[in-house]
Amino acid sequence: MSTVVQPEHHHPATGFDPYGPRPRGPYMRAGWIRAAWCTALFYGLGMGIVVLSRWSFGLSPVLNWTVIVLIGALVMAPIGFLLGLGAFDYWLYWISGRPTRAEDHSGHGAYSWKDYFRVNTDHKVIGVQYTVTVFVFFVVGGLMAMLFRAELAQPGLQFFSSQTFNGLVSMHAVLMIFLFVIPAFAGLANFVVPLMLGAPDMAFPRLNALSYWLLPIAGVMFVSSFLAPGGPFAAGWTGYAPLSTDTPVGSMFFNMGVQWAGASSILTALNFLVTIITMRAPGMTFWRMPLLVWANFTTSLLVVIATPFIAGSQFFVMFDRVMHTSFFVPRDGGYVLGYQHIFWFYSHPAVYIMMLPGFGIVSEVISTMSRKPVFGYRLMALSLVGILVLGFSVWAHHMFVAGMADWLRVPMMISTLLIAVPTGIKVFSWLATLWEGKLHLTTPMLWALGFVSMFVIGGLSGIFLGSVPIDIHASDTYFIVAHIHYVLFGGSVFTIFAGVYYWFPKMTGRMYDERLGKLHFWLTFVSFNVTFFPMHWVGLRGMPRRVFDYSDQFGDINLIISIASFVLGASSMIFFYNMITSWVRGPVAGSNPWRANTIEWQVSSPPPVFNFDEVPQVVGGPYEYGVPGARHAVFGGQHALEEVHT
Amino acid sequence: MRRGSIFRISLYGLAAAGAVTLVALLIKWLPTSGSRQMDRITFVYWFATAICIGIFGVVAGVIVYSVLHFRVQPDDDSDGPPIHGHTGIEIAWTVVPAILVIAIGIVSAIVLSQNGRAGTNPLHVKVFAQQFAWHFEYPDNKDVKSTELVVPVHRNIRFDLNAADVIHSFWVPEWGQKQDAVPGIDTHVIVTPTRTGNFTLICTELCGLGHATMRAAVRVVSEADFTKWVQEQAGGGGGGGNPGAAAFTSAGCGSCHTFKPANSTGKIGPDLDNLAADAQKAGKPLADYVKESIVDPDAYIVPGYQKGVMPTTFGQSLSAPQIDALVTYLTGSK
Repeated sequence: MSTVVQPEHHHPATGFDPYGPRPRGPYMRAGWIRAAWCTALFYGLGMGIVVLSRWSFGLSPVLNWTVIVLIGALVMAPIGFLLGLGAFDYWLYWISGRPTRAEDHSGHGAYSWKDYFRVNTDHKVIGVQYTVTVFVFFVVGGLMAMLFRAELAQPGLQFFSSQTFNGLVSMHAVLMIFLFVIPAFAGLANFVVPLMLGAPDMAFPRLNALSYWLLPIAGVMFVSSFLAPGGPFAAGWTGYAPLSTDTPVGSMFFNMGVQWAGASSILTALNFLVTIITMRAPGMTFWRMPLLVWANFTTSLLVVIATPFIAGSQFFVMFDRVMHTSFFVPRDGGYVLGYQHIFWFYSHPAVYIMMLPGFGIVSEVISTMSRKPVFGYRLMALSLVGILVLGFSVWAHHMFVAGMADWLRVPMMISTLLIAVPTGIKVFSWLATLWEGKLHLTTPMLWALGFVSMFVIGGLSGIFLGSVPIDIHASDTYFIVAHIHYVLFGGSVFTIFAGVYYWFPKMTGRMYDERLGKLHFWLTFVSFNVTFFPMHWVGLRGMPRRVFDYSDQFGDINLIISIASFVLGASSMIFFYNMITSWVRGPVAGSNPWRANTIEWQVSSPPPVFNFDEVPQVVGGPYEYGVPGARHAVFGGQHALEEVHT
Repeated sequence: MRRGSIFRISLYGLAAAGAVTLVALLIKWLPTSGSRQMDRITFVYWFATAICIGIFGVVAGVIVYSVLHFRVQPDDDSDGPPIHGHTGIEIAWTVVPAILVIAIGIVSAIVLSQNGRAGTNPLHVKVFAQQFAWHFEYPDNKDVKSTELVVPVHRNIRFDLNAADVIHSFWVPEWGQKQDAVPGIDTHVIVTPTRTGNFTLICTELCGLGHATMRAAVRVVSEADFTKWVQEQAGGGGGGGNPGAAAFTSAGCGSCHTFKPANSTGKIGPDLDNLAADAQKAGKPLADYVKESIVDPDAYIVPGYQKGVMPTTFGQSLSAPQIDALVTYLTGSK
């Protein structure tokens, strides 16, 4: 396991600190026991507030379970959980004027596996926590896909009720988006970005810990909507009102889950922004930052600006349900399309939130594995900024058939099509980086090249959807399903795999099995294409999305798609086997197995608790492969700096 | 760049583009067009396809060439040439794609505006969507009402869409055109059918549990046959048929419920052939139970089913005589 042994460090469970807070008994100490009873207590408090206020206002029934579930289970219980686990301890001690443990870093670093299960402020521990957690939800969301693909293997309803089917489809998307792709990038970046910047940690370590622990809350909330009376959230991940205001209470689990996941995203993004702006090592100018850092900088801006909009949209839906407001209830003067505008003003930028960090990962991998500088580094960075800006002007291309103002269609189409320009710059620059390089086709490189090819297909089908007349035909069909999976699976998920394989030796100190990694790639690559490519055809020919039943003419092709999807699901078992066994007993990797230049590879694997014994000096660009004598960073201060220049 | 490599890379690129062209041509990707609008959409589709095949050829050619020719053994620890960029090439691959996508944008904008034109004297058809059924009204043709969509060929038709409860979407794949029906706002879509025959109207916006089965039959007929159909509907409509059965069809009961007399096999709600037994469980007289279940469906839930599934709007959307006729029809008392 990747635990760092540092015998001289003060440990919170053993040492007694005369200036710190008094040690506490097992029930009062921050941890899972306190989390359990605090969760129960806060649920009770929430229920009490509801019952008391309904009783005092004379509302009937006093026991309104919809509101009790909302306030007790979805709002108060998570706060109790975080409080019990200790996420707020430092701040509460500080607010109440009691002694805090400001300087001993007792919540920092991992000394045993148990340290991964508590509020930990070390960005490397948090990075691992994120990464492992998101793969748990990847499995849950993937199994849901297996279930509804089994249902779709034949026309008609075989295994599930229509409520369960719609729930599985909706929850598959919700988990993969909010609990896998978005936080997977946050996790990888959490581990890598401070190291790349030459920083000892993130700017706000306690906030970082809090933003991680918000995530499992959101995940558990989403999944437990299957236990809600009336069935799970089933209005599609887009949750269009007024359908989502009419459906059973399971919908509230989505409305509130998005709040917790969104809060997690926003806090992490703020943390990245401040870290990148203020904590770069000496000499690390913006134009010397690795493209992964650029990617997370632009992504974080997107998250901070856009995420409040989806939070608002889900609150409004919930208010319509619980408080009988009428934001989206047409019979009371609500504006149905308002939901879609607000929702997509987040959810289109969210596509780039799920894409830009992957661009960053691929730039790192392709440059290192081709032994060449990234071609057109500055334009690569600027194209990220271009996507960030344009990304906010295209949301209504999801609404070409929605009945919005007609004049909006053409401008939104032009800005949508123009996004192909900065995206094209990135693809062409990756290709030019390969040109005349020394290509090492390792597992991360295979995923990166697989990403470029699949993402190009997803991008080109995006051009079809950007064109309004074609979109009018293809909208809400399986063509859309094919497109988003080429972009989010062939795109984002392939880059996540590239990143996990690439940084696995850094995170664990051990090397994965290259043979299994390649097998995983090829099996996924082939079954992915057999699963999703035919969906283009199915959609254009007339099969709408989100249906459990379809016309008999699509029976055979859906059977093929379902079988391929089971192979696709099975292929990830190879990945998990490889990761787990290599983590436990893989060969020791050494600090820089890829001979990469960026700073994270210049420290031991895994890195020391505070990353650097000496502050690195950045003296050049991050990808100076093939330039004789060039270095990105040196350790040892001014003296070493002079040496490089002479 | 050596001449040999340019030749080889073009070869790979052409091979990839050729393969994709075959895939594009040999497989029939779009349904056979059934409307003038779909003809134009098909044109834009091929215009974009040609450009995309070109781009794909370039990318695939370079990737395949690079993997084959620049691959090295794992123990080779030399570096590639330190090429940092090339301003000319970078400008080229910014400008050329911009021109290509703007060309697609211009063609699309022209087609969009043509497809939105109703021309002079279009036929008006009102489309009503509700969970989980379609029905249609012909204000230009004696206000005929129908649950089947019958339209004349070669005529511009303006469909005015209304939704009673949630968002639905109007799509006949062969017609290409699609438009959401949105509660609270009026939307419309123009279609000029060019081919007679039977088609299917599909709801493409997730609208609840019966979404997958929310379909309607579409018949495109000659102008003469259309006039004849209107006459039949206007003359004999209502009088001859069973008003309960008509209400059953128009309210879309069959999408969710099995009911043998109506030949419906929906499985989302309880089987309506067992109403007598259910009424007994609910402890109410049969007719009262049926009426209550239509107007206030959550009052009693048959074991094994769930609250909040059936729309609660039938009390408003159906008239009192319609509800009575429906109760008579369902209880089997003639």
